[in-house]
Amino acid sequence: MESKKPPPSALVDNHVVPGDVILDLADMTNQTIKLGAGLRQDYDTIQATSAGRLRLSKPNKYWVESSQKRYIPSVEDTVLGIVVDTKPDNFLVDIKGPNFAFLPVLSFEGGTRRNIPKFEIGTLIYARVVKANSIMNPELSCMDASGKAAEFGQLKNGYMFDTSTGLSRMLLSSPTCPLLEALGKKLSFEIAVGLNGRVWVNAPSPSNVIVVSTAIIRSESYTQIQQKSMVENLLVKLS
Amino acid sequence: MMDQRWRPTVNEREFIEQALQSDLRVDGRRPFDFRKLKIVFGREDGSAEVELGETRVMGYVTAQLVQPYKDRPSEGTLAIFTEFSPMADPAFEPGRPGEAAIELGRVIDRGLRESRAVDMESLCVVAGKHVWSLRVDLHILDNGGNLIDAANIAALAALSTFRRPECTVGGEDGQQVTVHDPEVRDPLPLTIHHLPIAVTFAYFGDGNIMVIDPTYKEEAVMGGRMTATINSNGDVCSIQKAGGEGVMSSVIMQCLRIASVKAADITSKIKSKVEDYTTTKALQKVKRTPALVPKKVHVPDVAMKESTGALENQASKTSNDVQQISKDPPATVKDNKQEDVELMLTESNPEVKSTSNSGAAGETDEAQESRTPKSLKDAVKPKHKRKKKQHGKS
Repeated sequence: MESKKPPPSALVDNHVVPGDVILDLADMTNQTIKLGAGLRQDYDTIQATSAGRLRLSKPNKYWVESSQKRYIPSVEDTVLGIVVDTKPDNFLVDIKGPNFAFLPVLSFEGGTRRNIPKFEIGTLIYARVVKANSIMNPELSCMDASGKAAEFGQLKNGYMFDTSTGLSRMLLSSPTCPLLEALGKKLSFEIAVGLNGRVWVNAPSPSNVIVVSTAIIRSESYTQIQQKSMVENLLVKLS
Repeated sequence: MMDQRWRPTVNEREFIEQALQSDLRVDGRRPFDFRKLKIVFGREDGSAEVELGETRVMGYVTAQLVQPYKDRPSEGTLAIFTEFSPMADPAFEPGRPGEAAIELGRVIDRGLRESRAVDMESLCVVAGKHVWSLRVDLHILDNGGNLIDAANIAALAALSTFRRPECTVGGEDGQQVTVHDPEVRDPLPLTIHHLPIAVTFAYFGDGNIMVIDPTYKEEAVMGGRMTATINSNGDVCSIQKAGGEGVMSSVIMQCLRIASVKAADITSKIKSKVEDYTTTKALQKVKRTPALVPKKVHVPDVAMKESTGALENQASKTSNDVQQISKDPPATVKDNKQEDVELMLTESNPEVKSTSNSGAAGETDEAQESRTPKSLKDAVKPKHKRKKKQHGKS
């Protein structure tokens, strides 16, 4: 407690429930700690306000990771949105959050007033959250930080389905989760995962798409080993 | 709020149709496969919860004595009420039933009423004055698609397990009706002649691709829908096709043929589940009758007695026990402890059990070790005390 670096909380990577004290600030001086979702400062203590796993990203960012069916937007998340309406300045996009998100018509690579993309209602968009707070509608962008397209934009063909936020995070974890690895060895497909609990799959044949989507939906609560064996069973049934 | 309504994407719409061209459905089913059906009955007679894939519906049947309609004085009535709970689907609004809710209620009602599946005349008690009015409440708990089929199965399962109280007509003018308590006289089942099963088809493409039991997403993307209510004999009880794409009559006939096959399958499932439930219920009733069968002989260990006392909670209390408890105040126990231990050893088992049962029941929950023996002895003591006193006195 006396060293310069704050010791990580004992509860990192453990399950916490609302009310658990993560850190006691009385012993720390002159240190900055960043709090993410699910944490709150209560005078001298940091307490959890939602149930989930406590995560630490070195050196000093803490947050609580929980899995839900709805999404709370946070900045720098990549999400899959559905266009709900078009306005002169933005597209209204549904990202499974409490409000619709705005996607400015100019937030595309090389976007000018003359080449505004024409998205009809129901278009699937892969975008990045640029602004998110509890007061305003979140704002999206189809460019990365340097202004390049970087795979953002409309997703054509394929099939989209809903998952929980925990499952999306698991699919995006690195190293690649065993589920996707096992599927990728046998089938060829492309996949886009939104942290808001949406997954898009595309493959040359519809049966591949259906197999991949069924496998992902079923693996909601499976451990790594279970995922592997489930996929193997599924693939054996097909061939 | 428009916010929460689910909207299909262009991708899903195209993909579902494209996959159906190769006879593939998104959840891996074939076009004419039903989803997994699960029927669970509630504690009371006449309540059933049906899970058809992700769709969950609960059916609940109640009955009331009312005056019959003037034009049908000797028939009971049947009414279906649907409740589309907002927890089932963000698109459901609380309050007045929407179009879909009314359509669902009408289809199920027509299937049951027009085909005379439930015998109405057996519900008559006094013609023109008292008849039973059945009310079926269907609560949609989760909308995973194909609510009509699931709700229909829930209604049938609930009606099959519903028991109405028995009533006798008597009195001076032969008009007085006594409704008997279910504990006094066993309630009676309804007379159900056949089970009309609703089978829903969804049409895609130009009306030439059809699937059975559409899921939520397929319903959002389909071009039209048709529900055929058929029983296992192949009688068509009702057909409902409200709007949507036009289909050829040959397609309709093919659908009816497929539906009759599916109806037979579902009827057998419902019947087997209902049978399991009724046999379980009958067995439960049998256990309730008192059975003072000596089970185990035990050493007078205090802990053991407590456990046998707990086991024997099922056994009925004989009137003797009641008298024993009331007669003997626990205060005067102490001096007789030693005697009573000996008495316990020589007692016959049934008495031990019945008294230990009343002892355990007479005490409040936390019976401490020292106290239960006292209460057991309280119950036991009077018998032998009386005998001993007589011996002593005489």
